[in-house]
Amino acid sequence: MEKIQDYIESGILEQYALGELSAAEQAAVEAQAARHPEIQAELQRVQEALGFYAEAHALTPPTGMRERVLGNVLAQIAAPTSTLRAEVDAVAQANAPAPEPAATMAPAHPAAQEAVVRPLSSAPVASESAPRSTWALAASVALILSLGANALFYSRWKDASASLVALQNDQARFAQTSQVVERRLSGLRQENEVLRSEEFRAVALAGTKTAPTARARVLFNAATHKVYVDVRSLPPLPAGKQYQLWALDKGKPVDAGVLTAATALGEGLQPMKDIASAQTFAMTVEPEGGSVNPTLSTMTVVGNI
Amino acid sequence: MSDTPLISLPPAAEADLVRRLQARDESAMTLFYERYSSALYGVIFRIVKSEDEAEDVLQEALVKIWHAFASYDSSKGRLFTWVVNICRNLSIDKIRSRQHRVGSRTQGLDDSLTALRQAAPATFRPEHIGLQEITQKLIPEQRQIIDLLYFEGFTQSEVAEELNIPLGTVKTRARTAIKVLSKLIR
Repeated sequence: MEKIQDYIESGILEQYALGELSAAEQAAVEAQAARHPEIQAELQRVQEALGFYAEAHALTPPTGMRERVLGNVLAQIAAPTSTLRAEVDAVAQANAPAPEPAATMAPAHPAAQEAVVRPLSSAPVASESAPRSTWALAASVALILSLGANALFYSRWKDASASLVALQNDQARFAQTSQVVERRLSGLRQENEVLRSEEFRAVALAGTKTAPTARARVLFNAATHKVYVDVRSLPPLPAGKQYQLWALDKGKPVDAGVLTAATALGEGLQPMKDIASAQTFAMTVEPEGGSVNPTLSTMTVVGNI
Repeated sequence: MSDTPLISLPPAAEADLVRRLQARDESAMTLFYERYSSALYGVIFRIVKSEDEAEDVLQEALVKIWHAFASYDSSKGRLFTWVVNICRNLSIDKIRSRQHRVGSRTQGLDDSLTALRQAAPATFRPEHIGLQEITQKLIPEQRQIIDLLYFEGFTQSEVAEELNIPLGTVKTRARTAIKVLSKLIR
């Protein structure tokens, strides 16, 4: 029971609701919530609170946005238009467009349907009622042709604008992806500079009795006082804990900052606090946010320069 | 503010809407739009801070939501929670890539807070009170943290770094703020 309370207090549910966690961490939270109703209830409370905050910021969208956005969305999600296109082509190729092809493409769009049906019902009436119906008939045929062409152009235009939106989306997605890649690349380039620099000294940190297989490395630049940490393998942390790096200068521990979850999992170099002078580096397990003094019993790795 | 949030549908109506959307009923999308667009637009606007961009993001988000409906699991949370997070993520990606493009990798906090203040538009729907009341109930420090977490896409550690306060304090303030919010719902 107390453990559950600790879990709730650790703030991980807030991180979950705010979308801060990795997929694996999310799955772990969901598993906890499924197992413990108290956690489930708390999680729901947090989500509702944030949802409420979001709703409080509701804004009436600018005029005309509904038509634009909803129209574009519906056009993009509409079922594939291949059958419609085949019918449109059939109409275009027909030498003598009779009312039939126009009628078959009527369901393509409500506007077209409405427009085509009216002249169809009026045509037979005209031919029955008067002998001078030839002109009327010709006019009707002309009208039908014109309406058919309108429907054709309209549906082509719809197709074109839907493909344009789809293309624009593709392009935006591509630009986004390349930006993410670029960002990662610049991160890697920075790491590479540190790794290649001769001014940085690599200090191997080996596992202590509590974690014999743990391995990490500190890159220390005595001239610029810069410190980076690079994790090979560290034991998983209990909830609410973080690894903290310490520099020992003449036996006195100096805080060099805490490791992010990603760094602790070995995902890359992390810049730490500047250290003026040190002979030894060590890592301990501390409450999230770090401690002022190291908890020596939790020392996981240690190494001398 | 007597009862539950305004936008959330009663559970039965929500379940029905979800069922229709998952069955790829396009007409349900219009219903969905009527119900959620102003809330989603509000959140997106707060993040991207431009009407044109907010409209683009909303459109992109709706298409994304439509295609992702199959993966929505109602046991993991309300529909609104799920969709608003899709919108948030998309908007935050947008501002991040924009900042990247401009080359100012980290917008100063002062800038972003000023921008937040300026972004408060005159068109807040008075019938959707909440905000006034929330502003009074949350102390400025709590509101600042919630805004950075929710609208700026900061992680708790990034907030700690940005405001130069311990991570523990960020966590406590965030938790307290969320408690205050959930009391306001009841």
